[in-house]
Amino acid sequence: MALSIEELKAAILEKALNGPKPQLYLKDFYACDPDSKPRVIKKAANEMVTEGKMVFWSSGSTTMYAAKGRAKDEESRGT
Amino acid sequence: MPKHDTPLMDELEKGPWPSFVSDLKRQAEKNPECWDILGQMELSYKDKITHWKHGGIVGVFGYGGGIVGRYSDSPDKFPGVAHFHTVRLNQPSSKFYSTEMLRKVCDLWEKHGSGMTNMHGSTGDMVLLGTRTEELEPLFFDLTHELKWDLGGSGSNLRTPSCCLGKARCEWACYDTQAACHTLTMHYQDEIHRPAFPYKFKFKFSGCANDCVASAARSDFAVIGTWRDNIRINQDEVKKYISGELKAGGGIADSFGAFDIKKDVIGHCPTGCMWMEGGDLKIDDAECTRCMHCINVMPRALRPGVDQGATIMMGAKAPILDGAQLATMVIPFVKPTADNDFEDLIEVIEKAWDWWMEFGKNRERIGETMQRVGLPSFLRVMEVEPIPQHVKEPRCNPYVFWEAAEVEGGWDRDIKEFRERHKM
Repeated sequence: MALSIEELKAAILEKALNGPKPQLYLKDFYACDPDSKPRVIKKAANEMVTEGKMVFWSSGSTTMYAAKGRAKDEESRGT
Repeated sequence: MPKHDTPLMDELEKGPWPSFVSDLKRQAEKNPECWDILGQMELSYKDKITHWKHGGIVGVFGYGGGIVGRYSDSPDKFPGVAHFHTVRLNQPSSKFYSTEMLRKVCDLWEKHGSGMTNMHGSTGDMVLLGTRTEELEPLFFDLTHELKWDLGGSGSNLRTPSCCLGKARCEWACYDTQAACHTLTMHYQDEIHRPAFPYKFKFKFSGCANDCVASAARSDFAVIGTWRDNIRINQDEVKKYISGELKAGGGIADSFGAFDIKKDVIGHCPTGCMWMEGGDLKIDDAECTRCMHCINVMPRALRPGVDQGATIMMGAKAPILDGAQLATMVIPFVKPTADNDFEDLIEVIEKAWDWWMEFGKNRERIGETMQRVGLPSFLRVMEVEPIPQHVKEPRCNPYVFWEAAEVEGGWDRDIKEFRERHKM
């Protein structure tokens, strides 16, 4: 049975905070609940951005998700 | 007064053509940070490496697209471009602007950004080049509240849909491209503004096979106008072209010598479905591929048929993972119409999205996923019966693979009964 939206958000945040990579593709979160449809996972991840728990990181062509504070902006990255 | 010596950039002002360097210098008189654009570009030309850092977490609240972060890697030398973010605006269908709106957006951009624009980006958006992070929210507020204008798509979002001039200006448009573009833009606001996909996804709408927005080459989902019945022929007008009374191709064909219907029309038909008979032009419409060539050459004599609609093609892209590829024809004919809010298109789009979101790899365009699984599998997903037009070339592989459902009795068989007939 698929997780509730709140359970799904908790699983996504857990992965975003503790995964080895600071930035993750949306598809990387599919494993948080194999029973949830991709659109539901997208909805949960986007709600968490609105709630301020996650941020988008975009190269311009691709967008990734990160827990707030884990993703580095390009401004602070060395050349 | 120039802030930096830019001898290499100055070279780009020479010659008869317009120069973006001259434009930048003119804008720098109003907005001195533009001198730093020139200075940084001069340094890149010398070093043969970009000095931009691309991407980041910048954006406006609630949106996951429309802003592309950009920073200088030499902010001490070029403080004016330390932040130089790009903003994409969702252009109106067919890029029909009033001068009043263009002036307003230019004023807004001089207030919040560099004043430099790109008309338009290759996806179709109006692109505003260069602003600082702290200006993004005020810009977005003014853009949406004063101009009632929205951002376009970027990243792994649905990108800003675009369309040709369509029925607004073109007699060849076989469906209302502007209505389709606008309706789907409004229908898919969430997908434009919030990333949902493994990678970018683009819609483009062309009214006929001339494909003025190059949808067959540049979009994941191309809707190209066509017709099912016969090309309309006016034989009197055909004779006027032959006699020279009417200029072929609106006169452009004159540069290739006198008009010759056999050479310039019949000889260029890709399927050889045209011929002259007793002074009349004949067309075997069953063999016509609706390429538009003959209609382009003799527009007064030939017109698209009246049973009009569109072909859906999918999977075009520029070279990222697997080289450039043109779109594949998936659905030969649909009738896109505003009467049902283009539900025929929406049904196809959502079937493709649901599959691609589940099976597409990260940074894989849908055309690459289609190529990876093969067209037969993709057609099964789309619930489309294969037809000869799906075949690009005859197979060179001698093996034929059958699915269990395609074989009488499936894969279940009585091995004893089989061995009675086929002794070991």
